[in-house]
Amino acid sequence: MEYEDKTGRPSKPPSPKQNVRKNLDFEPLSTTALILEDRPANLPAKPAEEAQKHRQQYEEMVVQAKKRELKEAQRRKKQLEERCRVEESIGNAVLTWNNEILPNWETMWCSRKVRDLWWQGIPPSVRGKVWSLAIGNELNITHELFDICLARAKERWRSLSTGGSEVESEDAGFSAADREASLELIKLDISRTFPNLCIFQQGGPYHDMLHSILGAYTCYRPDVGYVQGMSFIAAVLILNLDTADAFIAFSNLLNKPCQMAFFRVDHGLMLTYFAAFEVFFEENLPKLFAHFKKNNLTPDIYLIDWIFTLYSKSLPLDLACRIWDVFCRDGEEFLFRTALGILKLFEDILTKMDFIHMAQFLTRLPEDLPAEELFASIATIQMQSRNKKWAQVLTALQKDSREMEKGSPSLRH
Amino acid sequence: MQVPHKEHLYKLLVIGDLGVGKTSIIKRYVHQNFSSHYRATIGVDFALKVLHWDPETVVRLQLWDIAGQERFGNMTRVYYREAMGAFIVFDVTRPATFEAVAKWKNDLDSKLTLPNGKPVSVVLLANKCDQGKEVLLNNGLKMDQFCKEHGFVGWFETSAKENINIDEASRCLVKHILANECDLIESIEPDIVKPHLTSSKVAPCWWVMQQS
Repeated sequence: MEYEDKTGRPSKPPSPKQNVRKNLDFEPLSTTALILEDRPANLPAKPAEEAQKHRQQYEEMVVQAKKRELKEAQRRKKQLEERCRVEESIGNAVLTWNNEILPNWETMWCSRKVRDLWWQGIPPSVRGKVWSLAIGNELNITHELFDICLARAKERWRSLSTGGSEVESEDAGFSAADREASLELIKLDISRTFPNLCIFQQGGPYHDMLHSILGAYTCYRPDVGYVQGMSFIAAVLILNLDTADAFIAFSNLLNKPCQMAFFRVDHGLMLTYFAAFEVFFEENLPKLFAHFKKNNLTPDIYLIDWIFTLYSKSLPLDLACRIWDVFCRDGEEFLFRTALGILKLFEDILTKMDFIHMAQFLTRLPEDLPAEELFASIATIQMQSRNKKWAQVLTALQKDSREMEKGSPSLRH
Repeated sequence: MQVPHKEHLYKLLVIGDLGVGKTSIIKRYVHQNFSSHYRATIGVDFALKVLHWDPETVVRLQLWDIAGQERFGNMTRVYYREAMGAFIVFDVTRPATFEAVAKWKNDLDSKLTLPNGKPVSVVLLANKCDQGKEVLLNNGLKMDQFCKEHGFVGWFETSAKENINIDEASRCLVKHILANECDLIESIEPDIVKPHLTSSKVAPCWWVMQQS
């Protein structure tokens, strides 16, 4: 490079001006303010030796400053190139998803090539479509069913706001007070869902959609009702899908075993999930695992928030969407793998902390968490414990806990 | 000047119905700020406040901000363990959240007691008093009565938004916790000097209490 030629010959005093003309990109701004001058005429001149030393120091400073500037400029250039590269690859990916993968979903989705592309992140323009396809519609929910549930929810809201409690005899078992509370909670929580985006709050463009989906869901699944965390999941779906499709994805997503366990607050089953998580935690990060144990930091303390909101509350939104991408591909296992990836990424920091600081750190992750580093960290997590995969470990633990419930503890070894 | 420092670490719970302002109160107390943009708490959040109580005493408060939805009850009750005190919060603009206060208090008392079997100190916070329906303000006497009946050590009208009474409420709670601890120590001190009890010197003070 041109620059290296110059620094290779430091005897030639660098002229900033000349530099500016030659190399606009790398103009070392800071050196232009650094001017070597002789002493004013009214003072005795420097001894030759000292002048020589000063000149040398000056030159060294200039070289250092230029080095820094150059490094910074190179970093910027690299960033720009990286951005262009990313944009280009997103552009290419959109074409691949639209023209090759989506039309041949059934045959292609589990191919190696698609899985690799999937890991890179689904381009936002096709994200909703891919999520919908991957989540599926086992429940066979139609747009009409959504309309019916929504109409019912609206009826309820009306009857509540007019103070009438005479309606409803159909859903026996769920008292009017429960429903009322549920609807009240939805109202309260909507304003606290991604509040800094200012789009879900009263008067915001997505407020009614979020309200509709959550309301319709409580009518569709009165046995589950509204549970905190749902508003975040529905909100992320709304950002990527139309209302009815978001509702379909929402209901099917919550119907997955892990989500059902959590949103029904099935404490026993949740503990089984935490226990399975700990098996892989110990396997992958034995030192940190021991540190957590020593400090009584149990997984529920951080996993509850992460799993209930599928990371949409604790990670930056675009990064959370990338986690969702692979969650849609790999299922619940990826949620726990992500947790381990996060723990691994911050292992060094965490091992130096005590209970309260770890708990604080994990319930409020750094806001500038870099996506590539996190994914690189997740990639190193092995979801294999003594040749057992996640599902096998979970099933074994579930069996254990069922047996525990059945047999009295004294009969067990 | 070298003053010997006493350090106390207390775990405090902040509980109450959903949306009453638990997180806001903690943010105001610990970070001295307020935002109407807090996200719902899922599970539990944490904060640490260090108080220089007096020249010799430092008090560290571990604040456990527990999600308010009733459904999470089973899951979050385990977080009550080893707490030394609590704030129960309600929203003065929503009467239903006040009706839930007694339920929160009973639940807390049934699941958590001090090592000597006594209930932990709890302070009641009537939050969002800046948006005050004056209902409460005029009912000070009734509130005092309510606190007596339900075993609260005190109550405060608070506003996280306007920074009203939060430091005061916390001082009140810490004062009671410290006093409780003094009681524990004082009541066992005579025992410790008795020769037949010297063997239990290493046991925690509450254990000695239970023996006597």
